[in-house]
Amino acid sequence: MGKDLIQKSLKDSLFTGIIALALFGPIVGLRTVAKNEVLVVEPKWFVVLLIVAFCAVGRFFINIYTYKKEKRRGESSSLGKAISNFLDEKGAQIAIAAIAFSIIFPFMPFADRYWMDIAIMMMTYIMLGWGLNIVIGLAGLLDLGYVAFYAVGAYSYALFAIHFGWSFWICLPIAGLFAGMFGILLGFPVLRLRGDYLAIVTLAFGEMIRILLLNWYELTKGPDGLTGIPRPSFFGLPFKRYPDEGVETFHTFFGLEYDPMQRIIFLYYLILILALITNAFTIKIRRLPVGRAWEALREDEIACKSLGVNPRNTKLTAFAVGAMFGGFAGSFFATRQAFISPESFTFIESAIIVAIVVLGGMGSQTGVVLSTIFLIGLIEVFRDFESYRMVAFGGAMVLIMVFRPRGILAKRKPTITMGKHG
Amino acid sequence: MSNTLLDVQNLTMKFGGLIAIDDLTFSAKKDHITSIIGPNGAGKTTVFNCLTGFYKATAGSMYLNKENNKMDLKKFSDFKVAQKAGVARTFQNIRLFPQMSVLENMMVAQHNKLMVASGFSILGLINSKSYLQKEKEAMEISKYWLDIIGLTNRADDNAGDLPYGDQRKLEIVRAMCIEPHLLCLDEPAAGLNAKESADLNKLLKFIKNDKKTGILLIEHDMSVVMGISDHVVVLNYGKKIFEGTAKETKNSPEVIEAYLGTED
Ligand SMILES: Nc1ncnc2c1ncn2[C@@H]1O[C@H](COP(=O)(O)OP(=O)(O)OP(=O)(O)O)[C@@H](O)[C@H]1O
Ligand SMILES: [Mg+2]
Repeated sequence: MGKDLIQKSLKDSLFTGIIALALFGPIVGLRTVAKNEVLVVEPKWFVVLLIVAFCAVGRFFINIYTYKKEKRRGESSSLGKAISNFLDEKGAQIAIAAIAFSIIFPFMPFADRYWMDIAIMMMTYIMLGWGLNIVIGLAGLLDLGYVAFYAVGAYSYALFAIHFGWSFWICLPIAGLFAGMFGILLGFPVLRLRGDYLAIVTLAFGEMIRILLLNWYELTKGPDGLTGIPRPSFFGLPFKRYPDEGVETFHTFFGLEYDPMQRIIFLYYLILILALITNAFTIKIRRLPVGRAWEALREDEIACKSLGVNPRNTKLTAFAVGAMFGGFAGSFFATRQAFISPESFTFIESAIIVAIVVLGGMGSQTGVVLSTIFLIGLIEVFRDFESYRMVAFGGAMVLIMVFRPRGILAKRKPTITMGKHG
Repeated sequence: MSNTLLDVQNLTMKFGGLIAIDDLTFSAKKDHITSIIGPNGAGKTTVFNCLTGFYKATAGSMYLNKENNKMDLKKFSDFKVAQKAGVARTFQNIRLFPQMSVLENMMVAQHNKLMVASGFSILGLINSKSYLQKEKEAMEISKYWLDIIGLTNRADDNAGDLPYGDQRKLEIVRAMCIEPHLLCLDEPAAGLNAKESADLNKLLKFIKNDKKTGILLIEHDMSVVMGISDHVVVLNYGKKIFEGTAKETKNSPEVIEAYLGTED
């Protein structure tokens, strides 16, 4: 049996090597360099050899230790199971501890500007992950264009704030509403689509919105972007060192020294609150009939129809609600940056958010947090090695898919139990 | 004929050149279990798909008498047949929500009334008393049915983890949660052992007698068909070749030739 396994794995790793050679041979192996003003091909076979050997050997070990082991494929590894069981049992305590940590985080001694920026970025992705989790994790609709709603939220916030001078708390719901409407707009044409087809159309939708923003110059200033988006204020108290005549600021009102960190900390709490609202809303709505219908739709649309569940309305609400939270996050992004341009809303953003949801474990709220910390943390760590960032990102995804094929946290809790009502 | 629940006239369904149902006329009574039998590919499942709006019939009419209110089933598309006309169905290949718990499966079946009770989620989000009350009632209905099929103690397990026979039963009681007037069952006894089959007979009789729900049954297992059918419709190549009581069917030479085969 063991010999058989090794033989099979060797054969498989040989194939992997051949595929790697076919791929990396031309991509890495043949390099054009300019010599005496002519381009010549300079082969780099040694590097190719290293890569191919790495792929083949790696595949061999993955085969032996996970895939071909005597157990059902897709079953989770014991370490993953232990972690998931632990998180399951202590879920409530961990959540409280995590929230408590998030609240005191800005006052930690190490929380300087750099850490605060990372924390704000992560929190934004967590919020986006939670929003998209409604569409992908619960309703099972693979939406690759989520960034479109983030963009719609950001632009509608910016336009209303710039042209009407309305405050953050008025523009925020408007932006959410606009994004939600775009969610329905996307929802209608894709009602009948599933799986790959749905993914392609949503991807195209995301690009359409970006291109629209790029070309509708009168409204969006195209590639120049929108500048001068009002910064948020603390209930009307701006964060400014030199305010206009007669305007009270945050630091004078509270009798503090001016410190630019005050604004950063305020932004941090703002996104923390927005994210927690998203989370609380999702947890609650999952237990309502509409939330259960979303999950049922993910499980079996035909069975849903046979029980009289309206698939059209159910899908549209999922798109709309998910998009709305994307819009909220977009408003936050706009007010934080004070400048937005279509460049911030490329497909790679959608891909990262989808990766966060899928790697976290479809539908798991905690999984979104874990995979955000992991993925965004990784991207940050590799910030100085710009060109290897995406390699590390891809590598991390492969690793998670190898060891936890159904995501970091794959276990689902029922939305209602017999015990609860007796 | 006030007792007629379902009235199908000249139903025809064509797939390109293939005539899956050919000018089929039959009716089903309120207090009856009406069985549709026939060899593989005879068009039985296609009849269900036309009735429940999954296919649009090429020709013919289908009427449901719902409390003396004659409803044209052709007017409804898929989910509306269940929602508006109260026709529930199960599938030849079980279609549960496998990753959801048994109880959740039962709750999804009560979606429409719960949706209204939750004020389309608004009342639900603010934990309104009236919604919680309705949710509790829905739980009780679920428990009632789960008690009947003996699955209450597995209510919180994933439906996909149940043994095959239990999944079949769950699919049937889940369909009953929409409080249908007509219940269409597509080969519910397929893959059941003798004891499970006997339990199924009991369940179907209970639904017919105590719940006053008409049943339309597709079945290959002749012991089930003969044991509980009040009326049998035999299809072959999309055509009705016989209609009568179980006993008459068993002795009909056409049916024996086309489907049952001679006993020797
Ligand atoms: N969607 C479809 N498109 C084309 N042909 C179809 C379709 N659905 C059913 N058919 C054809 O219609 C005929 C009747 O099929 P149906 O599934 O109704 O048979 P059945 O009586 O339920 O058989 P079984 O006992 O095997 O379930 C078959 O020839 C089948 O191939
Ligand atoms: Mg069939």
